[in-house]
Amino acid sequence: MAKMTIGEALRNALDIKLYEDERVLVFGEDVGKKGGVFTITEGLQDKYGEERVFDTPLDENGILGMAAGLALYGLRPVAEIQFIDFIWPGFDILISDIAKERFRSGGQFSVPLVIRSPYGGGVKGGLYHSQSPEAIFAHIPGLKVIIPSNPYDAKGLLISAIEDEDPVIFLEPKKIYFAFKEEVPEEKYTVPIGKAKVLREGKDLTIISYGYMIHECKKAVEELEKEGISCELIDLRTIIPFDGETILNSVAKTGRVMIVVEAPRINSFASELSAFISERAIFYLDAPVVRVTGFDTPFPYVLENIYMPSQKRILRACKKLLEGGF
Amino acid sequence: MEIRTFEIEPFTKEPYRLLDEEGKPLFDFEPEDFGLSKEFLLRLYKDILITREIDRMGWILVRQGKAYFYISIGGQETSHVASLYSLEKDDLVMPFYRTVPSLHVRGAKLEEIFAQIMGRASDPLKGRQMPGHFGKKDLNIFVLGSPVGLGHPVAMGVAMGIKYKKENKVIISYGGEGSTSEGHFHSAMNFASVFGLPLIIFIVNNQYAISVPRVKQTASETIAIKAKAYGAEGYYIDGNDALITYLVTKKCVNEARLNKRPFLIEAETYRFDPHSSADDDKKYRSREELEMWKRKDGLLRLKKYLEYLGIWNEEKDEVLKREIEEKLNKIVEEVEKIPFPEPRDMFYEVYVKTPWYLEEEYLELKKEMEE
Ligand SMILES: Cc1ncc(C[n+]2csc(CCOP(=O)(O)OP(=O)(O)O)c2C)c(N)n1
Repeated sequence: MAKMTIGEALRNALDIKLYEDERVLVFGEDVGKKGGVFTITEGLQDKYGEERVFDTPLDENGILGMAAGLALYGLRPVAEIQFIDFIWPGFDILISDIAKERFRSGGQFSVPLVIRSPYGGGVKGGLYHSQSPEAIFAHIPGLKVIIPSNPYDAKGLLISAIEDEDPVIFLEPKKIYFAFKEEVPEEKYTVPIGKAKVLREGKDLTIISYGYMIHECKKAVEELEKEGISCELIDLRTIIPFDGETILNSVAKTGRVMIVVEAPRINSFASELSAFISERAIFYLDAPVVRVTGFDTPFPYVLENIYMPSQKRILRACKKLLEGGF
Repeated sequence: MEIRTFEIEPFTKEPYRLLDEEGKPLFDFEPEDFGLSKEFLLRLYKDILITREIDRMGWILVRQGKAYFYISIGGQETSHVASLYSLEKDDLVMPFYRTVPSLHVRGAKLEEIFAQIMGRASDPLKGRQMPGHFGKKDLNIFVLGSPVGLGHPVAMGVAMGIKYKKENKVIISYGGEGSTSEGHFHSAMNFASVFGLPLIIFIVNNQYAISVPRVKQTASETIAIKAKAYGAEGYYIDGNDALITYLVTKKCVNEARLNKRPFLIEAETYRFDPHSSADDDKKYRSREELEMWKRKDGLLRLKKYLEYLGIWNEEKDEVLKREIEEKLNKIVEEVEKIPFPEPRDMFYEVYVKTPWYLEEEYLELKKEMEE
């Protein structure tokens, strides 16, 4: 096994799929020679040629239109949106075409495609290079939404996404693209879509999170452990369709739930999970479900460290929750 | 059938035509000069006539309360049918809502078209969309969404697929002149030109986008000229002249197939009825204007040309019309007997495998309905 970062694991996944499946095409702004601004596609054009890995004009609408048409025509496009914050010019295609194609055609047509994009804060990207809009995609029936938090999952989930028959929004937490390395098998493997992962078992409290936030949660959980508090940490991995079963099993065990996301609170995916748990597990709950989130403001530039939930904020919320303080 | 090419320049200010408003040739030519046989022209005429009758039936269905909504094609059938004739069977079509009645020329069964209009279970789309959104995979006809212009960039992506697979096909994407104001149109033309894709964008310029006239839609002299900005060719044609519509589209289709590059065609025509069954056109256009365009009707013009050629007459026309009418009445009667889709139909095909929460939502609804 090799040690890889999330970025390298993603590149490796693309390499494997480009190699084994001629239908796979990788494109977007600057993905060719440059290999993307985060170098995820670096070297792939040299290896597979300009027909398979190519630059497009600067037009997200064109990129999504091209992806939709290619998928409609039997290919497996993997389109890169340079930053998820720039997908809006193509949003009509996404909402009105890609997400609805299977349903609206009575199952005749489908658009199996992947839209990969860096998302989230923590790299001093300001308002337009830091957002976490997963809840917006999750609200559109017909799309699947995936967010990995580590190299192993990133590779396995991206391969699953490319092989999936439905359109997938694949969000990559940019702060941890190259932050750490982990053992990743070099050969092909998949991680199932729709399955959460219990990263740590515990009995006092359930924390649900995904993406970069998992790492802040981990630090908080370790801290709590020192004080004899045992947390169950769930990495959701797939936002849609989310793994309700794993969540409910955990709630039944701990009776206390905290959900941690980077996105602003109102209508975040944390809100959905909170409502889901309240509806289905109210009798297991010993306290209200708590959301720890970004603030309901645009993402700030200089102050991003205090905007994003941190180990400290998570820890504080945990303690309040355990003391019944909410 | 092999067509003969003829000298024609892109970016003219006047639409190209071969027949005058009376259906007379504008200069001395025989259809065979362009590789068009008389049988071909007769077939073309009959299909335009059927399309008009389907349209008439659509309006009747709304009046009878058998369809909730109808979107008209009357007056612009010639441009749709004649351009569809220029495609090979393997070529692909991205329709728009007004193309639908003409899709029978691609082999769409009239039963299916009416099932879609009437939202019955036999509709290939399972009653999920408003009338006028037909599509059928086995006929290489895609299924459109309602947002105007949406089809153009998606068709461009299909054209990219054709090129990538090294196939000899083309795709034609239909839209009204209103669709050229959307960014979608720009994205499609720009990508298709940069990547060299076999895409024909066929704009049916019926002078209005609902109530907004062409001059308030765009300040450019013609729609076709817009192609120039993308490094593509655009042709401005009289969409009520079946001959020129077929020949120019065929020429573009052939070149797109051979040289892998996009074309833009603007076919000038007119819709006779309101925008849709929910519209009142008296608010925005005069009856004189309507009457003037009715005299330029493509169906009438081709009929006169066929009479001029001595291969058609009023008697034959009456017989054919009656035949079509009877046929359509029978079809509608049959389709009416078909039930509406089941509630279950709403919950699947959102994804390949229906997620647990959708299964649950269906069971909830079922219980509610049983109570
Ligand atoms: C993006 C979008 N905006 C508005 C509408 C509502 N609408 C439906 S048809 C139409 C006019 C379209 O005109 P045009 O493209 O010229 O085609 P025509 O209907 O005249 O054939 C409008 C505004 C829509 N369907 N999609």
